[in-house]
Amino acid sequence: MASLLIHALEQGLAYGIAALGVFLTYRVLNFPDLTVDGSFVTGAAIASLLLVNRGVDPFTVLLVAFVAGCLAGVVTGLLNTRLGITNLLAGVLTMIMLWSINLRIMGRPNLSLLRVDTATRIVDALWTPLGGLAILVFIALLTLAVKFFLDAFLRTELGFALRATGDSEAMITAQGVDTKRMKVLGLALSNGLVALSGALVAQYSGFADVGMGIGMIVTGLAAVIIGGTLIRSRRVGWMTASVLVGSLIYRVAISLALRYGYVIGFQASDLKLITSILVVLALVVPRIREQRMRKVSAC
Amino acid sequence: MKRVAICTVVALLVGVMASVGFAAPLKIGITKIVEHPALDAVQQGVIDSLTAAGYVEGEDVEYIIASAQGDMSVAASIAQDFLARDVDLVVAIATPTAQAAVEVFRGTDTPIIYAAVTDPVGAELVPSATDPSGNENVTGVSDMIPVAAHLKLLLTLSPEIEKVGLVYNPGEANSAILTEMALAAAPDAGVEVVTATADSTANVPLAAQSLIGRVDAYYVTTDNTVVSAIDAVLAASEEAKVPFLMADPTSLASATLTAGFDYYEHGLTTGEIVLSVLSGTLPNEIPVTFQPKAEVQLNLDAAGRIGFEFPLSVIEDAAAILYGGVVFERAAD
Repeated sequence: MASLLIHALEQGLAYGIAALGVFLTYRVLNFPDLTVDGSFVTGAAIASLLLVNRGVDPFTVLLVAFVAGCLAGVVTGLLNTRLGITNLLAGVLTMIMLWSINLRIMGRPNLSLLRVDTATRIVDALWTPLGGLAILVFIALLTLAVKFFLDAFLRTELGFALRATGDSEAMITAQGVDTKRMKVLGLALSNGLVALSGALVAQYSGFADVGMGIGMIVTGLAAVIIGGTLIRSRRVGWMTASVLVGSLIYRVAISLALRYGYVIGFQASDLKLITSILVVLALVVPRIREQRMRKVSAC
Repeated sequence: MKRVAICTVVALLVGVMASVGFAAPLKIGITKIVEHPALDAVQQGVIDSLTAAGYVEGEDVEYIIASAQGDMSVAASIAQDFLARDVDLVVAIATPTAQAAVEVFRGTDTPIIYAAVTDPVGAELVPSATDPSGNENVTGVSDMIPVAAHLKLLLTLSPEIEKVGLVYNPGEANSAILTEMALAAAPDAGVEVVTATADSTANVPLAAQSLIGRVDAYYVTTDNTVVSAIDAVLAASEEAKVPFLMADPTSLASATLTAGFDYYEHGLTTGEIVLSVLSGTLPNEIPVTFQPKAEVQLNLDAAGRIGFEFPLSVIEDAAAILYGGVVFERAAD
């Protein structure tokens, strides 16, 4: 049970970085961005390519992946702000473009990292006093560092302008802010985070595959919505924390479904159904609680 | 006194029976990337092979079957779940699931037996196809197709075949490798390979149709995406009035001819490797197993529809023939 929890936490936090990226566009900027299905793989692809072909150190590749993701976000931003393509469509177009680009980067649909020293492997070998928790601690430190940087950024003047762009574009334009630039910035930052997550997950899983980003928007949104339902706050620090919590819950739901689904007679193919039901429960329970409280106060 | 004695004997017997009955059955984790007739057939082959060898499900062995349903992150979670449950052996079907298993079980000595992986060396599951000493705890069966032989087979059908159309999904690792092999083997085989890509099942008909009038034959490898829409390729080949060679014999009715091996047989072969490991052979003593020679099967009904006649030599060598909707198999000599 303990190792089940540890693995769920590891994945929950690693994917949590991508969820923070989705949070930035979907919640803060109010821009539903589908680029993430592609930029997640872009991060994984670039990281894997550099690790395998150029022997670049696994921690630097995370930074490079972040930059690559930013570029992908910029493309979507430009499609939307300069060419007037609607936000959903712009994201989809970039995602489709990235499918071909990612294949080009990797040179093949699947690139193995099993024979290379990845960040997680190095950490596991070096931090021996932590034993089986070494990788979890590493991922947790990285994710929390990202979270704090994001929190700090959102509290700067630029960050406020970004948040205002998502809240009320008209108002902030009247204040003299270039909302077009804000959108491009937000998309760049968001996809940078998603690509960083992709690079981390590729190293964690031992391979990069062109299909590993499929459904990333769903995973990200699930984390954002679950977290947002459980922890309601308008304060930045709590909002980003809720996203990470949501990501953890989602991954724990998957692990539980895998492990105990058979008890209810479910088969291997019912995994996605069970996971969704668990997520629905996670969303419904607080709502029932709220309704009960409202009924009481309505008396 | 007698009662006490009888009770003790009964208690001892129950205890012995209980300990025998409760002797922990072997736990075998079977993981696959997606539900798919071919992959499911492999799984069934493995299980049947073990059952035939005397491993009774529920008593001697417990199968934990999981599918990642196309989601790579779930493949990793499944492998971690197997590790947490302390399985005695993992059967990983398809490349991403095998990679996830190898990564998670690194450093342990739980054997990982992979199946339906086209290029185990390219996927870095094992360092060498011939020398198993570096395998650590991994070995398995590859479904690599003799692409060059297939292209040459097309030439024996009709010397007029110059251009071979290949529909594939470049996003599928196995398929991409086979296509590369086909392109490399083409000049030697005396044909030119023309490719058409389909990144999803929905785009397969379009890709197949784009080759009409440009090729003298169609060829499809074990590409999951294209195989899911195989009838669209058959329809295009019939419109073009050219033969269609498929590398998966389970779809004989959807092609003019097939050359390949049965995935159920592939599962049985994998089962044999599992049995070998269970009885003490170490994975680093077993090199990659490649499927034995492929068999050719002919669909005379489809050939009739496009007015194509198989040469007598091909018919004589065929392992099975589909005619009038019925499959006739060559009797084993």
